[in-house]
Amino acid sequence: MSAPLLSVRDLCVDYVTENGPVRAVDTVDLDLSPGEILGIAGESGCGKSTLAQALLRTLPPPAVIARGRVTFEGRDVLAMSEPELRGMRWRRMSMVFQSAMDALNPVTTIGEQLADTILAHEPVSGTEARRRAGALLERVGIPAERLGSYAHQLSGGMRQRVGIALALALEPALVILDEPTTALDVIVEREILAHIRTLQRTLGFAVIYITHDLARMLQFSDRVAIFYAARLVEVGPAATIATAPRHPYTRGLLRAFPRVHAEAGAAESIPGTPPSLRTPPPGCRFHPRCPIAVEACRRERPALLEVGPGHLAACPVAR
Amino acid sequence: MHYLLRRLGFYLLAAWAALTINFFLPRLMPGDPASTLFARFKGKLDPAAIEALRATFGLTDAPLWRQYLTSLGHVLQGDLGVSIAYFPSPVAEVIGTGLGWTLFLAGSAVIVSFAIGTLLGVVAAWWRRGWADSWLPSTLIFVGAFPYFWLAMAALYVLGFTLGWFPLGHAYSDDAVPGWTWAFTADVLRHAALPMTTIVLVTLGGWLLTMRNTMISLLGSDYVNLARAKGLPSAQVALRYAARNALLPSVTGFGMALGFVLGGSLLTEIVFSYPGQGYLLVQAVRAQDYPLMQGIFLVITLAVLGTNWLVDLIYLWLDPRTRDAGS
Amino acid sequence: MSRADATQATGLGAWAHAIRRDRKALSGAIILAVFALVGIAGPWFAGDPSALVGVPLQPPSGAHWLGTNGQGQDVLAQLIAGTRVSLAVGFGVGLAVVLLGALVGVTAGYFGDRVDALLSVFSNVFLVLPGLPLAIVIAAYLPSGPFTVALVLTLTGWAWNARVLRAQTLALRRRDFVAAAVVAGESEWRLLLVEIVPNMLSVLVAQVIGSTVYAIGAQVGLEFLGLGDVARVTWGTMLYWAQNDAALLTGSWWTFVPPGLCVALVGFALTMLNSGFDEITNPRLQLERVWRAFLERRGVPAGRSTPVVREP
Repeated sequence: MSAPLLSVRDLCVDYVTENGPVRAVDTVDLDLSPGEILGIAGESGCGKSTLAQALLRTLPPPAVIARGRVTFEGRDVLAMSEPELRGMRWRRMSMVFQSAMDALNPVTTIGEQLADTILAHEPVSGTEARRRAGALLERVGIPAERLGSYAHQLSGGMRQRVGIALALALEPALVILDEPTTALDVIVEREILAHIRTLQRTLGFAVIYITHDLARMLQFSDRVAIFYAARLVEVGPAATIATAPRHPYTRGLLRAFPRVHAEAGAAESIPGTPPSLRTPPPGCRFHPRCPIAVEACRRERPALLEVGPGHLAACPVAR
Repeated sequence: MHYLLRRLGFYLLAAWAALTINFFLPRLMPGDPASTLFARFKGKLDPAAIEALRATFGLTDAPLWRQYLTSLGHVLQGDLGVSIAYFPSPVAEVIGTGLGWTLFLAGSAVIVSFAIGTLLGVVAAWWRRGWADSWLPSTLIFVGAFPYFWLAMAALYVLGFTLGWFPLGHAYSDDAVPGWTWAFTADVLRHAALPMTTIVLVTLGGWLLTMRNTMISLLGSDYVNLARAKGLPSAQVALRYAARNALLPSVTGFGMALGFVLGGSLLTEIVFSYPGQGYLLVQAVRAQDYPLMQGIFLVITLAVLGTNWLVDLIYLWLDPRTRDAGS
Repeated sequence: MSRADATQATGLGAWAHAIRRDRKALSGAIILAVFALVGIAGPWFAGDPSALVGVPLQPPSGAHWLGTNGQGQDVLAQLIAGTRVSLAVGFGVGLAVVLLGALVGVTAGYFGDRVDALLSVFSNVFLVLPGLPLAIVIAAYLPSGPFTVALVLTLTGWAWNARVLRAQTLALRRRDFVAAAVVAGESEWRLLLVEIVPNMLSVLVAQVIGSTVYAIGAQVGLEFLGLGDVARVTWGTMLYWAQNDAALLTGSWWTFVPPGLCVALVGFALTMLNSGFDEITNPRLQLERVWRAFLERRGVPAGRSTPVVREP
């Protein structure tokens, strides 16, 4: 494996509440190579979006990073000062937010929002920044004349494309996509993902793609990480996870989201509901919903162990 | 523009409501309005004045709806009747002498206060728990809790009367020659300084709190978060993203607080014997000059409505969403 | 927005909580309690406020702690006597204005459609008409006295409350438990009185407090203009007489400083109570407060980026 672009070790993120901290990301280890697409899947509220924003250190209060190391391009993100973070943000690591409607400033034009991003990091003239903003828009398939538009004047799909143009403005090494297509219909969603794929091949940036739609993610990603109740339960190449998932939760997810081309068989959801992070069950957090749980699962947290080439799973029971 | 026309329609409705209140108030008094009203003035006023009062209110033998239409017609022609305190001057003329001073004093005080208060609100919200956030809101709430005119009295007593730094009243010195000269302008500003400062001080806290609270809630919004994630300089995140959006509710509040502030500034005028509507109002109350009181109410209302429409224009300019929804 | 959030803490328990937890709310409550005590019990201890006790315009002394006014009456006795009337009118109007506002606002928000359109225009017109000049005009036609002042201030002051309560009602109507009650076939009035109004209780209290601040200030303003009963002792008429007796020219600051200070203290206490309550019940502010306290314990500065708190 080449030197990782991003390496996360032992990362813990807590939300401080009146009744003590609630752990939303629990001892997570992850690696990402340059140019790689890593998918992170899990039910809503499992901590996957928290992880994404923690990497940029833009999680608003009451979040704190409680433990771990994040190394990005050889530098320790958790030890960075405010100016260092500002230098890293967007220039090296950027993000597409879940809802572009909420993520765009409603009272300034999208052109201004693209240009101020460029101007904040590069010593170019205002005219040059606007020219580049126009080129960025065209790159995501929006005519440059729309630079003067406001967010509310664009369709949902266009707004999300603007979000992508924003993320690519400084040609970063890593782009985090935080459920970038949840607000869109299926056709627009597919179109946008295909577009990102093309851009990724030409520009060569790495991607962390966060979604709750496992099927979509398996098509899109090189490698996949499955989150359950703040913890990673399985990591592996997309092809392996698709054909030979190891963790019972991943298997459940796959059954719950039958692929378009899969042979007949109704969607079958996992019984029960995900646990509250406030009072997680002891041992393996999936055991109350797990069809194959044994006594040990109730007591001990299973380690994430290698079960195949590049394939890790946190289940000592499944075969 | 659809939006501005709709607003204009609303202000016309409000103006009509003010006119109607003015028409019915004298008639709502217990008993026969004409005789009650005139009994109050018996012996105090000469018959000519009583006749003028009757004409002003349109208290004739005609049916009510005709009286109403006649009265509306008079107002539309700018005829507000005859003043009792300044008999036989017409009310419109009496009000005209002081209107400029009131608009100047209240207008500049409101703008200065809004600008400073809003700016301080941005500072308090951005540097949460900093010096501005820790003691400014409480201090300004305390200052703002004083009645306008009381703060005016205290300021006049300490800074004008005891220390002699400021003139004791009026809009300009007795020996000043009115005109567009530097000397006269400076004289006017010197006289306006103290009343203006008291109005600004009383209203500052309100603007600060409005801006601070909106901005704090916007600091958690996605677009402010994205601006931060984009690595924009702090000042840009605070001003172009958070404050620029937080300004919108403040501007709406500005329109609504206008009538309130104007009321307070009338009381301040009284303390400083400032020759505006407040001074006229106190004369009107003392002389039970109903036509003048109602005239002042009407004119102040129109000023507030007109300014509100200007505020709507500014809002339209600030918010592209309203702009599009309106056309 | 923060107002809508505040409904989550329903009932009066939230107020008790705010007073216990927030320094600002506590200091407001204490100041208010002192004034209430003086208003209720004071007149039994202080002398007759109208009695002519000495030479006019005497500065404060051992005999007259706050001096005498232009008539030779004791300023302290007047201040104490005035507390009762001023507070009674203030709270009375505060309550009345919220009741009237709730009547209009809740009806508009609850019944919607044409009722809402009509009532909204009505309250917006009243909101935009300048309150003080209107109050002066109405008061001038009525016999002077505290009751007139209260009536006039109620008539001119309810619109803001109606507007806020309308928005509150609209927000509550959309909440699940109300929708459930509608489906269960509860009668409209029962729904309004059992599901909606109790859930607005803490907001209503906040409104009464805010409106009382308005009422006390406006009352003093009207009385200062001579529209109160100038023969009755209130903080407002004290200021009227101070101005009339040329307190400034004679340098007798003790005739106008005490009543103004009392008005400001009461207004300040009420506003502090309200803002302390908002601070406690606004979920965002509350989260942030807990977060800051946590960081302080760990000795980590609260910066703009997500802080890193190494576990001990």
